[in-house]
Amino acid sequence: MSATGIGARVVRKEDHRFITGKGRYVDDINRPGQSHAYFVRSPHAHATIKSVDASEALKKPGVLAVFTGADIAADKIGGLICGWMIHSKDGSPMKAGAHPALAQGKARYVGDHVAVVIAETLAQARDGAEAVVVDYEELPPLPDMTLATAKGAAAIHAEAPDNIVYNWHLGDKAATDAAFAKAKHVTKLDIVNNRLVPNAMEPRAAIGEYDDGDGVFTLYTTSQNPHVARLVLSAFIGIAPENKLRVIAPDVGGGFGSKIFIYAEETICVWAAKKVGRPVKWTADRTEEFLAVAHGRDHLTHAELALDGDNRILGMRVSTKANLGAYLSTFASSVPTYLYAPLLSGQYNIPSIYCEVDGVYTTTAPVDAYRGAGRPEATYVVERLIEVAARERRMDPTAFREMNFVRQFPHQTPVIMMYDAGNYPLALKTAMDMHDVKTFAQRRSESERRGKLRGLGYSAYIEACGIAPSAAVGSLGAGVGLWESAEVRVNPIGTVEVLTGSHAHGQGHETTFAQVVADRLGIPIENVSIVHGDTDKVQMGMGTYGSRSGAVGISAIVKALDKVVAKGKKVASHVLEASEGDIEFKDGQFQVKGTDKKAGFGDIALQAYIAHKFNGQELEPGLKEGAFYDPTNFTFPAGVHICELEIDPSTGATEIKKWTAVDDFGNVINPMIVEGQVHGGIAQGVGQALAEQAVYDKSGQLLTASYMDYCMPRADDLPSFEIGMITTPAPSNPLGLKGCGEAGAIAAPPAVINAITDALGHEDIAMPATPQAVWRACQKRPSRLAAE
Amino acid sequence: MAMTMSGEVVLPADKATVWAKLNDPETLKNSIPGCQSLEKTSDTSFAAVAKIKIGPVSATFRGKVNLEDLDPPNGYRIAGEGEGGVAGFAKGGAVVKLSDDPAGTKLAYDVEAQIGGKLAQLGARLINGVAKKLADEFFAKFAEAVKAGA
Amino acid sequence: MYAFDYIKATSLDQAAKLLSEKEEAKLLAGGHTLLPTMKQRLAAPGVLVDLSGVSDLRGIAREGDAVVIGAMTPHGEVATSAVVRAAIPSLAELASVIGDPAVRHRGTIGGSVANNDPAADYPAACLALGATIVTNKRSVAADDFFTGLFETALEDGEIVAKVSFPIPDKMGYAKFRNPASRYALVGVCVAQKGSTARVAVTGAGSNGVFRWKEAEAAFATFDPASLEKLTMSPAGINGDIHADAEYRAHLIGVMARRATAKALGKRL
Repeated sequence: MSATGIGARVVRKEDHRFITGKGRYVDDINRPGQSHAYFVRSPHAHATIKSVDASEALKKPGVLAVFTGADIAADKIGGLICGWMIHSKDGSPMKAGAHPALAQGKARYVGDHVAVVIAETLAQARDGAEAVVVDYEELPPLPDMTLATAKGAAAIHAEAPDNIVYNWHLGDKAATDAAFAKAKHVTKLDIVNNRLVPNAMEPRAAIGEYDDGDGVFTLYTTSQNPHVARLVLSAFIGIAPENKLRVIAPDVGGGFGSKIFIYAEETICVWAAKKVGRPVKWTADRTEEFLAVAHGRDHLTHAELALDGDNRILGMRVSTKANLGAYLSTFASSVPTYLYAPLLSGQYNIPSIYCEVDGVYTTTAPVDAYRGAGRPEATYVVERLIEVAARERRMDPTAFREMNFVRQFPHQTPVIMMYDAGNYPLALKTAMDMHDVKTFAQRRSESERRGKLRGLGYSAYIEACGIAPSAAVGSLGAGVGLWESAEVRVNPIGTVEVLTGSHAHGQGHETTFAQVVADRLGIPIENVSIVHGDTDKVQMGMGTYGSRSGAVGISAIVKALDKVVAKGKKVASHVLEASEGDIEFKDGQFQVKGTDKKAGFGDIALQAYIAHKFNGQELEPGLKEGAFYDPTNFTFPAGVHICELEIDPSTGATEIKKWTAVDDFGNVINPMIVEGQVHGGIAQGVGQALAEQAVYDKSGQLLTASYMDYCMPRADDLPSFEIGMITTPAPSNPLGLKGCGEAGAIAAPPAVINAITDALGHEDIAMPATPQAVWRACQKRPSRLAAE
Repeated sequence: MAMTMSGEVVLPADKATVWAKLNDPETLKNSIPGCQSLEKTSDTSFAAVAKIKIGPVSATFRGKVNLEDLDPPNGYRIAGEGEGGVAGFAKGGAVVKLSDDPAGTKLAYDVEAQIGGKLAQLGARLINGVAKKLADEFFAKFAEAVKAGA
Repeated sequence: MYAFDYIKATSLDQAAKLLSEKEEAKLLAGGHTLLPTMKQRLAAPGVLVDLSGVSDLRGIAREGDAVVIGAMTPHGEVATSAVVRAAIPSLAELASVIGDPAVRHRGTIGGSVANNDPAADYPAACLALGATIVTNKRSVAADDFFTGLFETALEDGEIVAKVSFPIPDKMGYAKFRNPASRYALVGVCVAQKGSTARVAVTGAGSNGVFRWKEAEAAFATFDPASLEKLTMSPAGINGDIHADAEYRAHLIGVMARRATAKALGKRL
């Protein structure tokens, strides 16, 4: 391994600009003649918009325009789309209501976009927005799924009269019922997966611009997938054809899924730029972000696990209600269905699984993918069920897992997935050794002497990453293919630009992608630049989410690099006067087999462009290759996390004392970056387990719209993590990569709650386990002795 | 965000007097916290402007006050709603019941109040305290008015 | 933020004059409550009178048996002051758990007591230590100063100049932080001087900071055990999404015992 090649802890190339304030985010960009947009948002959860009177607003200094839903309707601007069709059990398509970029006739959540004011300055736009008079007639607020699905509840969209978008299911119901019928023991749990608000450090922002000379729109936006944004804005929303719409996603300060989606605000900015003849800029303030970014999770689940007399798992039954919010966001429909139920087999041999999911409209912000997207929800169900089943059967939870682990690969689960590689017992054993589980009892007694309750919790998670084979997702309802593209441009002096359809917003692609290129081409890492985030530079791409940039994005780069090397060999054969078949490429040198005749990569690049040594009719000059890579399977990162914590029963405060994570991400390009991803993921997962909760009151008001009330995990809430890795390379891609971006957020919540319930001696606590919730739980008598 | 609270005060006046005060616009105006104007628009409704200051926050609410479920001289419901511009909106009411008491008249109230928009989004921690404070202020001032008029 | 005029005062008298003369004038101390409120457009003062140029408002001094802290002294200076650490170490500790380093760098004691946020830390110290709030006009005992939710005895044109804390025999402050905001969900300050003990509670009262007189009376000896049988009623205690009144009332008992233990140099 070289100092900068695959497997090296290369310091992130991009950090110099980030930590010296030289990053260039959307809000850092200012265009000549730029105006500012401010949105008038509904203060009501559910209301008829009787009228919008902008006459006073238009008189305010600096106000250029006020637009409402009527204006976008008049311009035939299409609604925002949901790109994944889900069918109900009866075969009927999901009942999706329209999602206009500015509300038409009705507002459906607090923060819904009712009008936009465009003015010379942001302050003037805000002044204008305050002068817009909206006459609302309030309708019944339906901020939770129980209210929305109650008999006689008002319909949020006429298309879904009972507020149910779909009743979907997966698995063999009859086989699962039969498994339960012969079970010796059934573990039952009611599970809440709490609603979260993604909190990227950079809030969303957009600048729309229209060049009247050539009729081209440009949108600068905080996107994880600028090409998908362009596709949706062109093909569905109808802003402009793709060749007349350039989307640029420059430095983006975190996304966690929330910047995958195409939102009203950027749609309006790019549309309005032509209307007002000026660039239009909008940057969310933090409270707007809380109100209108797509939220995450929000499931209510009843789950059951059937065991035989030997405590082997026979079957699993899961029934989930998933809150989709007031409108279907871009991928909302897929998150609680195909990104959720196929992961319910966990790391276990489960002969039969049946899962049903109701997608529910409520008068809350749209809910969509958030770090892990469906997989954290599935893992929470599985790992809580497993832990509780072990406790009910008075088995050590690790022994119970051991005896039910999948050990043979490939393994076909009853819910779509074909696990291709893994070593679950090894991860568990490694984690237990690293954590020193053997001496936990002593640490527990020591805590008891101080009046504290100590608990140990496990989470053996699996996720499906690298999404995904296009044909596979297409058969499940996806509206797009999920390949990735890359282009490798070799310059005449041998430096390289790699254009990738992946998009970095914190992941460190400029480093890891360059490591792969430097390693493969045998050139210095400084000679490699990674270009992404601009539809005018990169031909096509599907973007970054679902831990796919390694397994899919890098695979496309590797495929293009292979073509570059193949072309290089052709050039080298002329330069070195040998037959192409005799040319080897190794460590940056093209060499004639068995001789010392060789030429460096840079020399061959130069020769490719000079084109003196070969006939340009037989061999094209230049050295530039592109590739599209479509994976053959999902990848299946898996691992074991162990959380050890201490509860102060007099206050309910929980302190995490020790955290061990052993993950199998397949081969790893940069362990330091991977560890960083694991750290961040665990922090987010701990946030969900202990702190974070979006709270809507009964009237549909969001009470957690600032950091005064929405609790993010902080550094001092977390211990120093012990991180270990095992490796079973993914067979489905050339480098054997699996993906690491979501693992921590998927693994952590059940580890924390399993530890808390271990400490409490009963299962009666939901996420987030806030101090108040834990204190209340401490008032309840343990239903069992703490596991010895 | 919604909250409810209840309380009672004993006023040194007979029921008829208290009832009259409950229907007297001037008394109501003086009792409603921060009330800057209260104009009668019908026998039982008023257009109102109230400026509420809580710590650094100040918001002017424009809206209406209605007297409902009138049951002279035993009680009514006084309800109000107002738009506070950028601050959001507030609405609520109090069911007021009068009964005879050895020391005069007992006034019992059940208040429910709801706020929306920025106040709810940013001020959730303070809502209970503020609602109680405003209700206390209303009935304290009303009691003063009754005492002064008694 | 709406437009406003900004004037940087150079003396307390000038600031007081501006405050009474100008329509809708507000004082700017550390600005940690006022400026975010203005940014949200929930406050719209016509004039901001900045006190940061009034040099004699900043500083810490030992004056006889009291520690006197100028109104514009930031929390970070109190937390690290050798004078405070020597005379009332718990007061320095209290200052060190306000907000985060950025807040402690800008936020001031005068701003905190004048704002009287029901979850602020300093008001508890003022009440427990029997501090005197010295204004440009008069001296007010802490017991008379904090009058309700965000309300104080300050009159129009009156400005906090300094706070004088009598040095106690012992003091302890125990704070259970709101996990989101890190304000006090419940903070209890206990101080003993001679034969009297005072107990002040912040973060919990629906009407702001208050003295827990039952606890003061319960100190047969100044020891956490004296408070063990005592329970606080949830009536009059604030409830919100983080903590209902019952939980807060319970925490008051726990924090009072912990504060007492801390005052005695013990850990509970």
